[in-house]
Amino acid sequence: MTDKNIANKVLEAALETGGDFSELFMEDTENNNIRMIDGKVETASYSRMKGAGIRVLKGTRCSYAYTADTSEAALIETARAAAAAINDVPENKTTSFCVKDYKAAPKTPFSTIDNATRIELLKRGTSAAKSYSNEITQVSAIYIDVDQRIMVCNSNGVWAEDRRPRTRVMFNAVASMGDEAQTGSENPGLGMGFEAYKIIDVEAYARQAAKTAVTMLHAQQCPAGIMPVVIDGGFGGVILHEACVHSLEATSVARGNSEFCGKLGQKIASDIVTAVDDGTLPGEWGTINVDDEGTPSQRNVLVENGILKSYLFDILGARRMSHPLTGSSRRQSYSFAPTSRMTNTFFAPGIHDDEEMISSMGDGLFAARMGGGSVNPLTGEFNFAVLEGYWVKNGQIYCPVRGATLIGKGADVLMKIDRIGKNMWMGQGMCGSASGSIPTNVGQPRIRVSEITVGGNGGAL
Amino acid sequence: MNIAEFKDRAFSEAIKKGCAAAEIYFSEGDSFNVDVLEGDLNEYQVSKQFGVNLRVKLNGKDGYAYTETLDNPEALVLKAMDNAIVIETVDEHPMQGESEYVEVKREKSPLDSMSEKEKIDFCLEVERRIKATDSRVARVDGCAVMSETGRTCIYNTLGLSAEETYNVALSYVVPIMVQDGEHKMGMAFRSGKKALDMDEMIAEAIEETAIQFNASSVPVGKYDIILRNTTAASLLSAFSSMFSAEQAQKGLSLLANKEGTVIANELITIVDNPFHEEAPRAFDGEGVPSVITTVVENGELKTLLHNLKTAKKAGVQSTSNAGRSLTSPIGVSPSVFYIEPREIDYSDLLKKLNNGLVITSLAGLHSGVNPISGEFSLLASGLLIENGEVVRSVDQITLSGSFIELLSNVNAIGSDLKFDLSFGSIFGSPSLLIGSMQISGK
Repeated sequence: MTDKNIANKVLEAALETGGDFSELFMEDTENNNIRMIDGKVETASYSRMKGAGIRVLKGTRCSYAYTADTSEAALIETARAAAAAINDVPENKTTSFCVKDYKAAPKTPFSTIDNATRIELLKRGTSAAKSYSNEITQVSAIYIDVDQRIMVCNSNGVWAEDRRPRTRVMFNAVASMGDEAQTGSENPGLGMGFEAYKIIDVEAYARQAAKTAVTMLHAQQCPAGIMPVVIDGGFGGVILHEACVHSLEATSVARGNSEFCGKLGQKIASDIVTAVDDGTLPGEWGTINVDDEGTPSQRNVLVENGILKSYLFDILGARRMSHPLTGSSRRQSYSFAPTSRMTNTFFAPGIHDDEEMISSMGDGLFAARMGGGSVNPLTGEFNFAVLEGYWVKNGQIYCPVRGATLIGKGADVLMKIDRIGKNMWMGQGMCGSASGSIPTNVGQPRIRVSEITVGGNGGAL
Repeated sequence: MNIAEFKDRAFSEAIKKGCAAAEIYFSEGDSFNVDVLEGDLNEYQVSKQFGVNLRVKLNGKDGYAYTETLDNPEALVLKAMDNAIVIETVDEHPMQGESEYVEVKREKSPLDSMSEKEKIDFCLEVERRIKATDSRVARVDGCAVMSETGRTCIYNTLGLSAEETYNVALSYVVPIMVQDGEHKMGMAFRSGKKALDMDEMIAEAIEETAIQFNASSVPVGKYDIILRNTTAASLLSAFSSMFSAEQAQKGLSLLANKEGTVIANELITIVDNPFHEEAPRAFDGEGVPSVITTVVENGELKTLLHNLKTAKKAGVQSTSNAGRSLTSPIGVSPSVFYIEPREIDYSDLLKKLNNGLVITSLAGLHSGVNPISGEFSLLASGLLIENGEVVRSVDQITLSGSFIELLSNVNAIGSDLKFDLSFGSIFGSPSLLIGSMQISGK
């Protein structure tokens, strides 16, 4: 994307005012997006984003500048704009780079695929969802592919290049009856080229979206209160993502703004809990070969048998806390300075039986499919939505329920996990935080929380 | 290559290749953000943004392509044509031709004329002063100034030439306060001409944070509530797509075909006003001159929000609500969208509530609301009110219901219209007194 001479000039210009670290991040990203409503293509768009971001650090002071103009003159000007925030004595420094090339061409690059082939996926999914039930009144489908090419180099001699293809389909089914409408959605994705669709069974996902919508159309309003909840595997892992790991990101921890500050080596979860963030899993949605600061991705065990083992670090967070890097620095694009983020985050498999968790829970909620959520890391207060829920009465599934939300505080809920099943799988999401929106996986086996506050609009069942 | 040359080459290539029309939507801007921590610069960010969105019309169908590099207009035309060919919907999307616009004046922000150094000094002073104001302020999580200036232009081969400058000026502070070992975080911001109103902002940030101390849950049950102004605005924002004709025509809004029917309490009037001083604009995302639209009048749904495409399909006029970002196709989005205030001030609203809850914040608005079913279930916090007086703070509760039911159950509306912090569409509401809402708690 640029040659080493120019990069060196840019990194030097960025240090002209006495910064102690400079970094150049360049990106060239192509994206295709197709939307289908009711089996007909509604819109199709292509975009190409190309630009550079330059960061200067002085201690823990951070200055960032970015530009869509990647000419040498513009890069130097941008470097000086970033440097303007620092006011110190410069050291003369020329960097010799240690080049690491992580780029690998996908098996089937998106550029070799025509729109007709992309559209065929959406059509197959749409007709599978429609044929699930005549109560399905609308199906919308979206196809996305992204091919991000990046280069990051810094004044410590790091030079890394990577290519990150990823693709996803999103099916949203609406079931209606009179004035009522309910929805179901499935959004599978993988971090690879178009060969992803040899693995992703679009029809099965679309049918599942339809099943959720129809089930919820016939569901009662969920009763509210404090109760045991079983959360199924896959995207259910959003509970770990929200209730715990956001509060382990250096972004929060290093500034003292997390309920888990100063808790390394301490018990923060029940003994059966082991939690991992692993950016190295081949071809997964949240996988990165190398992070956006040029640090190789790695498997980070965050919680082991209930004991807090690690936080997630980027360069700035590691400086604030004198800690080794964890390969966790990410950003949406060149228009964001990077910070500590998640990749593929999951509860490791446990030993419990899926059926027993429900049969021994008494009355409560079985959350079969979870939606998104959010957290305030300072207080640990989290919330997330249950998209497909079932009321459990005397250990038996009694009826579907809708409109449930789970709320609580991370530190409390982690201690109350009393069952973890044997089979772990993952779901795909986009995680929004300080450095923008990035693809992440959440995962878990089926788990049980002995008590949690459930929000809902219904009376006793 | 400059934008003029890029445009001319793209247009001539499009026409040569058989397109009936072509359009360039382009924006460029400069932004500056600074954030301070512990008396020193923490984060400093400057940027130059630039992007071009090309739309071509081929056999009555629209295709889009976007780039940030002005190197190859002909290739971009081909990408856009590829995307037009595959469109299967038969709905026509008219393209706006040459248009006249009224001149829209944005009030200048005092931030606009400040140097970077002055902006940094302003942030440092806010941090110093907020710590001095209340000893419970342990530190700030953010203390920042953001400013952005730029221009947006739309040109097409039908003679449209719409150009407008924009600027955003904003300051905010997020104190972290500690009391009896409890940590709480709150936020206040000031924008536009008020962007430098430091003392007001500091007082509000401290109040917003301090009211969270010593909170506890309440028993599950039905409660009368006041949805405080900014909280009501954020809920309105989360459900705003229900008012989009695009969503309605796709079968994704319960308000489809409800024009002329009562959907809310007669106290409710909702307006979309692109000329509002919060964010005035002369035209929408496809160059249609701005018009003020009364969406709900005294509880009756008058119209949904339209762009040229949905208006054509419905046989009505566009309400100038074409939403457009550089990277996505034209949709429908509100401009400045708000519930009209009434006469009752906030303290009288509290007396009218008598016993119940004031909801001061809602979390999970991107996940706990479903604009298609109209239902929501959200983490909430606020205040417990007895005999019209604040008794204590409340947290760890959820507020659940249906948005239409909520609008129907409004019993009184305050005079305290306030706009939520947002970019793009702006949402506002006064505080709303609402009867019998479902609360989950302990």
